[in-house]
Amino acid sequence: MEAAGVVFSIGWLHITSTVVTTWGLLLFFGVGCWLATRRLSADKPGLVQTALEGVVQSIDSAIDGVLPGRAELLLPFVGTLWLFVAVANLTGLIPELHSPTADLSTTAALAFLVFLSVHWYGIRSAGLKEYLKHYLTPSPILLPFHLLGEFSRTIALAMRLFGNIMSLEMAALLVLLVAGLLVPVPILMLHIVEALVQAYIFGTLALIYIAGGMQSHEASENTEAPQSNDKKGSTT
Amino acid sequence: MELNWTTFALEIINFLALLWILKRFLYRPVLATLAERRAGIEHSLNEARAAQANAASLKTQFESRLADWEQEKAAARARFDAELASERARQMEVLSRDLAAERERSAAQDAHRQETVRRELVAEAGSDARAFASVLLGNLAGPDLEARLVELFIDELAVLPEARLAPLRAGQNDHGHGVVTSAYPLAEVQRQRLSSAIDARLGTHGPLEFVEDGKLLAGVRLSLGAWQLDFSLAGELGVFAEASNLAR
Repeated sequence: MEAAGVVFSIGWLHITSTVVTTWGLLLFFGVGCWLATRRLSADKPGLVQTALEGVVQSIDSAIDGVLPGRAELLLPFVGTLWLFVAVANLTGLIPELHSPTADLSTTAALAFLVFLSVHWYGIRSAGLKEYLKHYLTPSPILLPFHLLGEFSRTIALAMRLFGNIMSLEMAALLVLLVAGLLVPVPILMLHIVEALVQAYIFGTLALIYIAGGMQSHEASENTEAPQSNDKKGSTT
Repeated sequence: MELNWTTFALEIINFLALLWILKRFLYRPVLATLAERRAGIEHSLNEARAAQANAASLKTQFESRLADWEQEKAAARARFDAELASERARQMEVLSRDLAAERERSAAQDAHRQETVRRELVAEAGSDARAFASVLLGNLAGPDLEARLVELFIDELAVLPEARLAPLRAGQNDHGHGVVTSAYPLAEVQRQRLSSAIDARLGTHGPLEFVEDGKLLAGVRLSLGAWQLDFSLAGELGVFAEASNLAR
């Protein structure tokens, strides 16, 4: 698959189609949410409000299931990850548009944000000293492996999403070129499922990484249950 | 597959902008609405709980009052039953008394009625007997019977007690002569014997006057003033009638 082309440049700043599409998504989210939440009613919710409440409550429940009592803190970041990745993945279904998540730059940026948020929420939850101490548990010898795990899971996060979405679009394009107009329809339906599954996986892994960072000081105190979430995340 | 650092940086900025947009226009209003609804539901639940507690309290109070009412009802019923039994006993006693009085009054009325009937029967029987005797004696009356009654008069006068003779003597003294009344004309012999017998018992007197009166049926009557010594069938029937009247 070819790299996203530059749409226009502002001086040395080259704006690619990925960025333009993402701006379009921002506009879509912004206008859509503003229109949908202008007149919310606690007594008589409409269809759109009910759908929005269902989405928000589902995200809230998922976060609360992993980190009880922290849903309010993590909802903006994790929820935005889920919504953005899901919609960005589905954008590839629109003709003449490519999914922003089929660009490694986007997935790397998201993974980088996840990497930063893990440390941000971990330090905020346990304090800098306690948070850094968990890299030395159960033994300081494991520090390189901890650091390697941090970077590798971030790269894996970016590569997984990029690889899946890019391959889906490419597969659909190849089938369309080889077989004809309507043959890629099953591939496109598979694209929908895969897009939602990858969004769920990306958000869930981010949530698990953040939960691991926030619970690191507890893990360092209880060495019998070390970094279970990190192990799970790194092997996904 | 290549990494464009400009895109990388802009995507980071874009994501942070999207984070702000969603937080501002989606999460905050939706969560506020949910919190408001949750608060409303909690308020409704609290009201429902309060209403339930109030209902339970009212139910308990009602059950307590109901139990009190049942006890009061049982006590009132027992009191009413006792009063009813007492009133029934009193009424029965009054009724028994009235019944006994009524029975006594009825018995007295029956006795009075029976006595009246008996008297009427006695009177009727006496009247019938008197009529029968009058008819019989009237049929039997005659000079022979009168002769025998004159003889009987003489005999009875001879043995008449002094207590009965005393008024006759007093009547004789007050009025002079005596009158001998007979139903049939007396023979001279009979007149002399009568005069002798009267003289013997009443002493000396004036001449006796002999008169006839058929109403006597038979027999004689001696009249001395207001006093009479009657030995006639009519006199006997009169005595009989008087006795019958007395018997009533």
